Amino acid sequence: GYQGLTNQMGNLNIGGGGAYQGGAPPGAAGGAHMAAPTQLNQIYNTDLLQNFPPPISDLTLPPPPVILPPGSSVTGNPDPNADSEFMRCTLNTVPTSSSLLKKSKLPFALVIRPYTALRDADENVPTVADTTIARCRRCRSYINPYVVFLEGGARWRCNMCNLTNDVPSGFDYDAVANKPRDRWSRAELNHSVVEFVAPAEYMVRPPQPLVYVFVLDVSVHSVKNGLLATAARTIKESLSRIPNVDNRTRVGFLAVDSSLHYFAIPRKEDVAEGEGEEGEENEWPEPRMMVVSDIDDPFLPMPTDLLVNLSQCKGGIEKLLDSLQSMFAHTVNPASALGSAVVAAHKLIANIGGKIVCLTSTLPNVGQGKLEVRDDKKALGTSREGQMLQTASTFYKSFAVECSKTQVTVDMFLFSSHYQDVASLSNLPRFSAGQTYFYPGWIASNPEDANKFALEFSEYLSQELATEAVLRVRSCDGIRMSAFYGNFFSRSSDLCSFSTFPRDQSYVIEVNIEETIVKPWVTFQAAILHSTASGERRIRVITRAFPTSALLQDIYASADQIAITTYLANKAVEKALQKGPQDARDLLMNRLNEMFTCYKKDLMTTNVGASAPLQFCTNLRMLPLLVNALIKHIGFRKTSQIPSDLRSAALCLLSTLPDKYLIQYIYPNFYNLIFMPDEAGLPDAETGQIVMPPCTNLSGEHLISHGLFLIDDGQVMFLWVGRDAQPALLQDVFGVSSITEVPTGKTELPVLDNQFNERIRNIISKAREKTDAITYQHLYVVREDGEPALRLWATTHLVEDRVEQSGVTYHQFLTSIREKLNS
Amino acid sequence: MDFEEFEEKDGVRFSWNCIPSTRIEASRTVVPISALYTPLKEKPNLPVLQYEPIACRPPCRAVLNSFCQVDLRARAWVCPFCLSRNQLPPQYRDITPENLPHELRPECTTVEYVLSRPAPNPIFLFVVDTCLDAENLTALKDHLVATLSLIPENALVGLITFGAMAQVHEIGYRECGKSFVFRGNRDYTAKQVQEQLGLNQPIGHRVPQQGGHPQAQGAAARFLLPLQNAEFALTNVLEGLQKDPWPVAADRRPIRCTGVALGIALGLLETSFPNCGARVMLFAGGAPTEGPGMIVGPELKEPIRSHHEIEKDTAKHSKAATKFYEGLAKRATTHGQAVDIFAGCYDQIGMHEMRSLPNSTGGALVLCDAFSTSIFKSSLTKMFARDANNFLQMGFNATFDVVPSKELKVSGLIGHAVSMNKKNPSVADTEIGIGQTSSWKMCSITPAHTYATFFEVAQQQGTPAGQIPPGYVQFLTHYHHSSTQQRLRVTTVAKALVPGGDPHIASSFDQEAAAVLMTRIAIFKSETEDGNDIMRWTDKMLIRLCQKFADYRKDDASSFRLAHNFSLYPQFMFHLRRSQFLQVFNNSPDETAFYRHCLNRENLNNSLIMIQPTLLSYSLEQEQPVPVLLDSVSIKPDHILLLDTFFHILIFHGETIANWRNQGYQEKEEYANFAELLQAPRMEVQDLLVDRFPLPRFIDTDAGGSQARFLLSKLNPSNTHQSDSGYGTPGSAVVLTDDVSLQTFMSHLQKLSVAASS
Ligand SMILES: [Zn+2]
Ligand SMILES: [Zn+2]
Repeated sequence: GYQGLTNQMGNLNIGGGGAYQGGAPPGAAGGAHMAAPTQLNQIYNTDLLQNFPPPISDLTLPPPPVILPPGSSVTGNPDPNADSEFMRCTLNTVPTSSSLLKKSKLPFALVIRPYTALRDADENVPTVADTTIARCRRCRSYINPYVVFLEGGARWRCNMCNLTNDVPSGFDYDAVANKPRDRWSRAELNHSVVEFVAPAEYMVRPPQPLVYVFVLDVSVHSVKNGLLATAARTIKESLSRIPNVDNRTRVGFLAVDSSLHYFAIPRKEDVAEGEGEEGEENEWPEPRMMVVSDIDDPFLPMPTDLLVNLSQCKGGIEKLLDSLQSMFAHTVNPASALGSAVVAAHKLIANIGGKIVCLTSTLPNVGQGKLEVRDDKKALGTSREGQMLQTASTFYKSFAVECSKTQVTVDMFLFSSHYQDVASLSNLPRFSAGQTYFYPGWIASNPEDANKFALEFSEYLSQELATEAVLRVRSCDGIRMSAFYGNFFSRSSDLCSFSTFPRDQSYVIEVNIEETIVKPWVTFQAAILHSTASGERRIRVITRAFPTSALLQDIYASADQIAITTYLANKAVEKALQKGPQDARDLLMNRLNEMFTCYKKDLMTTNVGASAPLQFCTNLRMLPLLVNALIKHIGFRKTSQIPSDLRSAALCLLSTLPDKYLIQYIYPNFYNLIFMPDEAGLPDAETGQIVMPPCTNLSGEHLISHGLFLIDDGQVMFLWVGRDAQPALLQDVFGVSSITEVPTGKTELPVLDNQFNERIRNIISKAREKTDAITYQHLYVVREDGEPALRLWATTHLVEDRVEQSGVTYHQFLTSIREKLNS
Repeated sequence: MDFEEFEEKDGVRFSWNCIPSTRIEASRTVVPISALYTPLKEKPNLPVLQYEPIACRPPCRAVLNSFCQVDLRARAWVCPFCLSRNQLPPQYRDITPENLPHELRPECTTVEYVLSRPAPNPIFLFVVDTCLDAENLTALKDHLVATLSLIPENALVGLITFGAMAQVHEIGYRECGKSFVFRGNRDYTAKQVQEQLGLNQPIGHRVPQQGGHPQAQGAAARFLLPLQNAEFALTNVLEGLQKDPWPVAADRRPIRCTGVALGIALGLLETSFPNCGARVMLFAGGAPTEGPGMIVGPELKEPIRSHHEIEKDTAKHSKAATKFYEGLAKRATTHGQAVDIFAGCYDQIGMHEMRSLPNSTGGALVLCDAFSTSIFKSSLTKMFARDANNFLQMGFNATFDVVPSKELKVSGLIGHAVSMNKKNPSVADTEIGIGQTSSWKMCSITPAHTYATFFEVAQQQGTPAGQIPPGYVQFLTHYHHSSTQQRLRVTTVAKALVPGGDPHIASSFDQEAAAVLMTRIAIFKSETEDGNDIMRWTDKMLIRLCQKFADYRKDDASSFRLAHNFSLYPQFMFHLRRSQFLQVFNNSPDETAFYRHCLNRENLNNSLIMIQPTLLSYSLEQEQPVPVLLDSVSIKPDHILLLDTFFHILIFHGETIANWRNQGYQEKEEYANFAELLQAPRMEVQDLLVDRFPLPRFIDTDAGGSQARFLLSKLNPSNTHQSDSGYGTPGSAVVLTDDVSLQTFMSHLQKLSVAASS
């Protein structure tokens, strides 16, 4: 009912938009004074064991509606609060007091995803280009749809701290068109996400060019497994995709084994000048290699030519990339001074900032931050496992501080077939706003490996990075941001700094209530001050408002299970890194149990006794499943089978993936491909998009023996072929007549001339298609009667079943919670 | 006895050719018993013997020579040094008095053996400064490239460049230009150099096609390659050399890590090519301003040290730098590497501090204003001059042994060598120059290198006259010939021993040799002693010599007479006192180091020119040029003078000559004789330049020209502005100087010599 009301008001507004007359905005005139009591979300119980299996379509539902009093937005526009993609809150109704929050046992946190696409073209964020930026004098909040205009529109009252501010001159003037403008059309008063173009005072220095330094491992491992050649080729092929609109982007290359190899890339005119001859056929001068073996204290061998302009030196860069492989083809050097190389790369770009992109297949075993093989198979699954998830060298944390100071981000692309100490290496990306990308056992001679890396790396290079960014989140008096989770550097208690801002990560911010909130609704505002890839200083401002309540049931009824899961995943990662997987599992279990206990005690007073059903509010009914899946996840699972590198890499993903990928990573998509609707796998008649089949619960009972299934956790896909699959099916899908001929393992489906083959391939392609992540999932074909290890790996994703030592099914998990509650 | 003939035959000149038979008598000769010896002196008829030498039994090891008594019947020989009797080897069984092997023929007192062990290919490692302005760098690059064509194809070549940092170029790398870069401010040990260049680990590069140095295949394949394999790559790198890229502020000098670059060069060679015969050739265009070996800070407001500051010990970096380069020199000599220094700038490059490098290794020192000068170009070209057999005129990794018979002991050596610390009974207790050894090492040796060797008479007591056998000295020079042969040059000389007071002693005095030998002692002393002390020592020795050998009546200066073979000696000493070798304050420390280096290297003739320059006079009246006094009276308006100081060659046109020339008489047919006159000294200059290394600076000037001061400073100031006589030769120049004239000097000398006591 409420939804309808707001829609009507919205319609009124749209019709009423006109030149600002000096009064209240048309259509919203009544709203500002109405403050009528509002009906918040109602609580509905679900008996979890009764409603079994869990209805997994819930996972894709939007969060509980945010129900604001009418007129809370200044324009009345219903749009401003719509975008939960950019910011969602674990509690879409905010408790008015800290004691209520504590009592609820629910976490209070924001999940912020400042960017929703790798490239601007795939995003649609309105821009405020006139550099008139109205901010509150006291709390520095940006003007937003929830402020109130006073004194005939001359002043505005801050919705965070209530201070009355002057409306800046020029606020109602269109400086571009040189005429008065309609205040109500200003984007910042209409949208929850806007981007301000910032004037000079928002810059410490002019926006710097984008800078990429590629640190390439040239030890024998990376030459032999083809990484060097593939990386060089991919970079070369992606040069034109690297953001470079204003021709300022610079690149540099550093090769590392036991020494550092710098490359001077001459500019063409340097040589043309000497030769005098004109029209020499595009012959670029050769790059020059300079080796520095002083890896304990690396230095730059020359002040110029090591970091070069991408546009001006493209030919030279291509020439270098073409010859890298042959330069190191004969190496037998097994050493890697990666830490020293990062220090050297940092020296190269410290005065500008930018990205250091490390690509390596080798454990850094010499030089700064050198590491040792410390993975102990016997420690896996024991209490000693925790140590292996922690950094073995302080270098990787402490150097990140240097990087942050100088606006440098380090990204790690790791390819080892042996232990590489992902735990240590991932610290540099973690604390410098970078990312760790792990390709275990990667080898270029496998076309799937080569293809996956090339596609992902190319996407990675194409993303439009922001630089010199800081993120600050503001809210009303009495509300404080208390903890931050994600990959960045905490510059102060409330400021996260990002040397470069990746566009495929999200961040969790825990919120404290410090004073009783008297407002009917509160606002959160995240502001990301940054420079764009095209050299503009901008502020992306995300503002959302949430109603408040002093009633526990209101809090529960509006709790967002996806946001809560995101929060819990981050807390569990933090715990795993500090103490180990067991503590992380305990944390997850305890937090869930506390919620159940609270819910039962305070909201289900009628249900007591040993046989009481396990009840939970409907909007949280997927939470136990997600928590159970988290406990079984490779990041936390109780097992002695997961090498610590894999575990560490998983923790990196769990703490950075935006929620839609995170949920899929925890609870993969599972498709039954032989019983799917007719339209599945074919383009939708209207949108042209491939229609995906519905998801199935992740339980082995659905794996019928003549079936064909797809499991997709967003990182890897398994195409499961039942042992009794019909020859016709095999013929259609794989072009073979018997199951023993089905090629298993990492592979791609053959392109066959039949619709079923095409539909399956369409589904796989659609699952891989994304504009907001670089990941391109490997496809493993798994035969039910095939290789046990592969089969076991695939089935660990069936998280409603027993998974290894986390040996309970989801049903048993719920039963034991119920027993515990009722005892 | 003709000293010059003797020198022609054996390359030896002794100060005394008759030696007093007792130590006490010998000490009274004032000028020590000593010899200048040029081991590799070029001799067209030198016997080059393709067999191993026959040596006396240990510990003597003297080589069979024409002074040995050979008992043909018994097939035995008696060594004149130790008097041992040795059997002749079987291959000598057919010798007869008519068919003697070369070494036994009386005329063959100097022979050279080609030993059976081969010597490694020579190595040339260029160490090139890139902190040069464009013109200087281009000139240097061009000439280095041109020089490659002078190097034998089988010689190994390598390149290190430096500026703010030092780079070792891996010319064996084919994929692209590649160099290893070292910090400019760190003192790298040889081991660190080896590690940083990856020479201690398998790198997986191609194994070189030709070995020869199995312990150094890595370096031989990567950094130091046979020229025939590396010429293209090395030429490319040289041609592509750019000015050091590090920015230099207007008030600063470029950062230049010369010391580090040299250290790395030596480190590379000593780990990969120990004792292989290598030249490190430094081309420096300015002062080291960074790291170990810096001689001045980078700020221009800090001036480069002067002689005064060095003397007062206030030169900030000089001592530490000198110590650093001495350390390098020690390493170089230990591993048989020579260091050459070519300075191509107006300013100093630290030769003073670096001097131990060329001085102890036998390397060359060349000082010029820029690499574009012909001094640089032709000097560098001359270094690679070939002999008649088309081999480089340079030997490597030489050891030099002096074997005296028991009447004599070896006091030391002065020249470009270091001690091998070989002590034996023939080593004297008293030390002159580098003593306490009978063996020295020269990392590089050329036909020009001349060494002063000093002796002491062993006998304490006199033996009855008539029974004294002659004293023998054998010089043994082992070296790597550039034909990749190991060779041994043997020179054996005999000198009569006579009782003290024997007139043969005085008449055997070689005043030219003595002057040069005393000059070498004076310069050697100047390394450790104060300039005034040396001046006093020079005077004292001269006076004592005159007291002993002049003919005079006591206290009667007018009676003072010197024998013919002593008569020039005081003049030499007069000019030595005035020379740049002892009067350092008109020169920079670098120049002083350069001048002294040359004197310690050159043979007698060249050394004499340095001490007392030659002056030729040309005029229309004379068909041939006449040598004239190095005196201001020699300046005449209608004469052309040609001055040769070894370092400078100057043509000076008298006033009239210059006038005629300016009026263009030489263009006119009727004045062809004048044109010839103008040409004559130029022709002479061409002749002088043929053998000269380094190329002297050529000055062409007229009377009254600003460059004329070079001439005037060398002339005896017989007509100074202070002479009170007032009637100088008409037209001759007045020399503005406070120095005493030769005439004054001589009269003082006479007075002091005849005085009752000294
Ligand atoms: Zn405010
Ligand atoms: Zn003997």
